[in-house]
Amino acid sequence: MNELATATVRDAAPLPGFVMSSFSPLVAAAADECLTARHGSPPAAGEVGERTAIVLVSATGDAAMATHVAHAVDDGARIGPLLFFQAVPNSVAGHVAARWGLRGPVVCLCPTGDPKADGLAHARLLIDDGDADEVLVVLVEQAGAEYAQAVLVS
Amino acid sequence: MSEPPLRAGITGLAAVSALGRGAQTQLAGALAGAAAFGPVRRFDVGGRRTTIAATLPDASTLADELTGVIDEACTGLTRAQRAETPLLLGIHGHPEAGRSETATTAGFARDLAARAGLAGVARIYTCACVSGSTAVADAAAAIRAGRSGRVVVAAGYLVEPDQFALFDAGRALAKDGVARPFSTGRSGLLLGDAVSAVVLEPFATREVLAEVAGWGRAGDAHHVVKPDPEGRGLARAIGDALVRGGIEPGAVGYVNANASGADGDAAEAVALRKALGTARVPVSSTKSVHGHGLEGSGLLELVMTVLAVAAGKLPATAGHLGADPACDLDLILDAPRKATGPYALSVNAAFGGADTAVLVKAS
Repeated sequence: MNELATATVRDAAPLPGFVMSSFSPLVAAAADECLTARHGSPPAAGEVGERTAIVLVSATGDAAMATHVAHAVDDGARIGPLLFFQAVPNSVAGHVAARWGLRGPVVCLCPTGDPKADGLAHARLLIDDGDADEVLVVLVEQAGAEYAQAVLVS
Repeated sequence: MSEPPLRAGITGLAAVSALGRGAQTQLAGALAGAAAFGPVRRFDVGGRRTTIAATLPDASTLADELTGVIDEACTGLTRAQRAETPLLLGIHGHPEAGRSETATTAGFARDLAARAGLAGVARIYTCACVSGSTAVADAAAAIRAGRSGRVVVAAGYLVEPDQFALFDAGRALAKDGVARPFSTGRSGLLLGDAVSAVVLEPFATREVLAEVAGWGRAGDAHHVVKPDPEGRGLARAIGDALVRGGIEPGAVGYVNANASGADGDAAEAVALRKALGTARVPVSSTKSVHGHGLEGSGLLELVMTVLAVAAGKLPATAGHLGADPACDLDLILDAPRKATGPYALSVNAAFGGADTAVLVKAS
């Protein structure tokens, strides 16, 4: 597989529409930096964007949000309606796809081994199966030193 | 001469929902058209706008229920055969995520595979409502390409307080306590238990219940959570499934739609009309009786679809109040309809604009 662009971020500015967790801002920032290196500014050019998939890989998903919601439920506290929109990792993947015009498959995985290897293996599967020509793989974790790494492959 | 592509067959299936336990129980419930919704007693819903869901009264833990359906779907496989069969799992995450710092989703999946006597976990899908359907598409693709033998795909969701609270906060749940897919007056979805497993393997291995004849995966590139009102991503997924299946739209005998009773049903109707053209294919949504099973939904609905075309009986959509012009489809209403062909589509869409379509052909 060809690695077309890559970017790693360890902090990110708030992302409008997403609250109380760094998960989605990290994904969006890494994806933006990586896709900017490939395409300049959004959206990605027509046919390339049409056939670019997103594979988001995270062992925990949005752990900060899951903890917040669990505590709120257990304490009987109010849950803000915006949290509904970021209830799954698909949401920020959809943000990236909409911003950059990426119309390939959207897949979120929890790694069973090395996260990057798992993400690239799934990118390979999508390309070999004909549903994408390029795949943006984004690895994101909040535990420890949080980070997101985006790799665009073909 | 090149070898013809391998064919991926479903050789075992099992499911649990609020309709009951066992695959045929699911179909019987859907054909009866009796929605399984009721007051939630599994956890406290005080303070929620909606207090209704489709829950199985005697449901055990998600791990137990997943183990049970995998075991049932693997009926006929020897212990040795199971031990060389990997698991693809669709799940939101570890059920204790948010409450335990040591609970990991990968650990949950590994334990599940070990309990079920499988070879291990090949992949874990956390892509919301297309988790199970994406797994089936990937499994079928790998089998057709000759890169995989037998696999087990399992997916599950049991209605629990955290997602219920989020959906309630987002005002996504039906205000009137009824799921009304494609209907006028629909006011939202209702959550439901959905735990299923299927065994996929190359043809000529064992008796095949249905072929996974085609599949498609695509994205809307439209919005964080709302579907593309033009239905372009979903239409592309359906079109890809038909191309892989080598059939024209008119050969599709049934669509088990994603429709949940939410606003997005209209976008799906647009997608179905776009993809199927002038073919008036019978459509229903079994979510109207078992609810929306989130990560478990795609696989439960695929099981329903396989059972329906295999039995030649297509379930109706429950909860219908009247026609919504924005959802102009050949909806199966009031009573089941006789199937006219072996091909059927199970269609799913998720947050992030993720779309899938799985085409099955009954044996």
